[in-house]
Amino acid sequence: MSITLDQVTKRYQGSPVVNDVSLEVGEGEFYVLLGPSGSGKSTLLRAIAGLTGVDHGRIALHGNDVTHVSARQRGVGLVFQNYALFRHMTVGENIEFALKVRRMKAADRRERRKELLRLVALEGMDDRLPTQLSGGQQQRVAVARALAHKPPVLLLDEPFGALDAKIREELRRTIRQVQRELKITTVLVTHDQEEAFAMADRIGVMNLGRLLESGKPDELYARPATRFVATFLGAANLLLARQTEQGIRFGAAPVNARRVEKLDGGREQEVVAVLRPEEVELAPTRDNLRTNFIANGIVEEQVFTGAFERMRVRMADGAANAHIATPDMNGGSAPAALLDVTRTQHEQRLFPLALGQSVAIGVRRIHVLPTPLSSYTAYGSDEASCERLSQHPFLVELASRMKTRIIKRHEAPLVACDAPASAPVSGVAVIAAGQKTAEQLQWLLQNGAGEVLVLPAHSSPPQRVLIHWADDSARRSTLAVAASLLRHVAAEAVYVGILPEGTSGESQRPFGVRTLLDARSEAQAVHGLEMRTELRFGAAADELQRQLNESQDPMLILGVSDPAQLRSTFGALFTSGASYPMMIVYRPSKDTDGAGE
Amino acid sequence: MSFRQPSILPGFGLTLGFSTFFLSAIILVPLAALVMKTATMGWGDFIRVVTDPRALASYRLSFGASILAATLNSVFGFIIAWTLVRYEFPGRKIIDALIDMPFALPTAVSGIALTAVFAENGWIGQHLAPFGIKVAYTWIGVVVALTLIGLPFVVRSVQPAIAEVQRDLEDAAETLGAGRFTIFRRIVLPTVFPALATGFTLAFARAVGEYGSVIFIAGNLPMRTEITPLLIVIKLEQFDYKGAAALGFIMLTMSFVMLLSINLLQAWSRRRIVAGAR
Repeated sequence: MSITLDQVTKRYQGSPVVNDVSLEVGEGEFYVLLGPSGSGKSTLLRAIAGLTGVDHGRIALHGNDVTHVSARQRGVGLVFQNYALFRHMTVGENIEFALKVRRMKAADRRERRKELLRLVALEGMDDRLPTQLSGGQQQRVAVARALAHKPPVLLLDEPFGALDAKIREELRRTIRQVQRELKITTVLVTHDQEEAFAMADRIGVMNLGRLLESGKPDELYARPATRFVATFLGAANLLLARQTEQGIRFGAAPVNARRVEKLDGGREQEVVAVLRPEEVELAPTRDNLRTNFIANGIVEEQVFTGAFERMRVRMADGAANAHIATPDMNGGSAPAALLDVTRTQHEQRLFPLALGQSVAIGVRRIHVLPTPLSSYTAYGSDEASCERLSQHPFLVELASRMKTRIIKRHEAPLVACDAPASAPVSGVAVIAAGQKTAEQLQWLLQNGAGEVLVLPAHSSPPQRVLIHWADDSARRSTLAVAASLLRHVAAEAVYVGILPEGTSGESQRPFGVRTLLDARSEAQAVHGLEMRTELRFGAAADELQRQLNESQDPMLILGVSDPAQLRSTFGALFTSGASYPMMIVYRPSKDTDGAGE
Repeated sequence: MSFRQPSILPGFGLTLGFSTFFLSAIILVPLAALVMKTATMGWGDFIRVVTDPRALASYRLSFGASILAATLNSVFGFIIAWTLVRYEFPGRKIIDALIDMPFALPTAVSGIALTAVFAENGWIGQHLAPFGIKVAYTWIGVVVALTLIGLPFVVRSVQPAIAEVQRDLEDAAETLGAGRFTIFRRIVLPTVFPALATGFTLAFARAVGEYGSVIFIAGNLPMRTEITPLLIVIKLEQFDYKGAAALGFIMLTMSFVMLLSINLLQAWSRRRIVAGAR
């Protein structure tokens, strides 16, 4: 491997800007780090170059650990957005700078300079000053300069940011050509997904300091695992659908889905579906559709963009309920119930459309996200408490980052927890922390909840998320929830493994450590979640409580396989209304499943 | 980066006219008067006055001490400016404000203060005396006074230039394998040099013309610690206006030649950075 990052973390004033990033870039690979501004991608690049130290983790170049090696010794080739050419030196002097510092002989330097200028198609420009060149030419010089000393890897930090479209495209081609010719491992940082698609062998998408997903461009586009990647790489409509025994349903209508995972415990569940604008079919009536009908709608916006027609269609009421949100160009959210649609010219000719026209909407294919967090429902015993809870800043922020919705439901039985709920619970249930949290949790779990978020009245956004599960059968689902949640929260993740007090003997310790390593590698492999691990000995509730008290702005994710565990094992956590958010995850294990129902 | 280009804005004629008038009234006319006054002397008298051993000694002290003070200021002023621009530390704002104090202080006050501190029984002077170093009433005292009043010129000239050195340039040089010293010498210094030269010039010019603070600390011993401006004042007090004008003319000429050569040096170095110089 040319570049190996292992759990690299960089904190800035306490909060992580680069959060547990692990990554391997192969020999000669062109890797693109894609993310919005502030996602930590540039910081990560600077960390690879050695210009920024890391607080945790390891960096290796070609197998050599360089974590504590200075930028000067690492000697990577780095290209900046603003070129960073030395303006008081000529083009030739700029390119020879690295060679001169290395005391290379003048004749050799000249030869290398000629070779590099030919490579970036700037022959004969040796004696110009940078200010006499165009932006595109300056960036070519910067690339040549970065390559002069034959660096182990080439790093490009938004190199096309300051250039206009035409030159950008030309320079992209040049850089790709140079990279292929030299077979040099390259990492490029950008916020432009088109650029990422155009250049990358592989793309890694970053958000909030985490590397969310990494893969070939076409795979990431077709099968994203996270909401963020689905909506950041190309346009996407996010819909709430139901996964049933018969397949994926949107309202009552079945839809075609790419590869869906098996149902957990055979229960119906709410899922998040990605519908690409080009997978939507529009027809005059339901009967004209060649695909599965999902709703009727009205054309509300229409833009002609050359090869394609882009439009927004407002879905009729019933179906609108299932639509979450569509991110617009600025990263904000458009009002719900508007579906983004793109049509080819061929489709336009077959069925010309005008504003205000009503259409039948069909779906060719959707992709179901594996995320267990679909939507939030705020529960309270009366309307006022529901309303208050649904305005909770942390909940509002989570929902808007996840581009999902918050539903309010008031259930009188929540006070005494003695009668069944009026309707089965779906999505993530949210309750306010209080004296009766334990009873309420148990009540919700018995009424069909799989995940419950407990929010204290006042809490700052969490910086450290502790993860724990009561027994191994809760591991899988807890990790899935933790992974989904942590994509939307800029916090560090720590798995706390706890062994009973008596087991601290020599024979048990390896077992405990193996559990930790298994947990970490499963989180990484299955859910793409990087987390750290800690092993403790003692009573689970006490150890967790101690850890939580020691952390600043903590959050707890707790997995159980039996609602009774909440009171028998973790009762101590709930007695004094918690001051931090908690996410309780419950999946019945196989044997209790049969006995309970 | 400053581009001096002929402007396409209107009002060129008006502003040029105003500038010419203003410069004439404030600078050229008084200087012409000085030259004319000198011209009323005969050649012989003129040569005798300006080559008087006492005058020659005063030139040496005035210009020598000024160059030394400006050089000291260039080194330490650069370091101070660098610290103020590049680092965040408590009290930075206060130090930044302190820099301007020599501007505001009446020069006589700073002269008296320096004398008190550096005299043989002063706070600093008493610790230097055992080593045989005398500051007050020697040429060293002159240099100290001139350094004090010149410091803000260097710091204020260099500060914006340092702020303009992009961190990216240093980062780029570092990844290319340059050590700290190389980065400073090959990247930072060339970029800041024109501003540093400006600061040097201003500090030097100010030092040559300084009178108030020096006369207190110098002791004013003829042939030894007497600066030219003082000699001019002495001649005035003796009603030797022509002699004073002659010395003034010599100072003017020497200062002009030195300032001009520094300006030319600066223009040459700036030309390497600004486009279209070929």
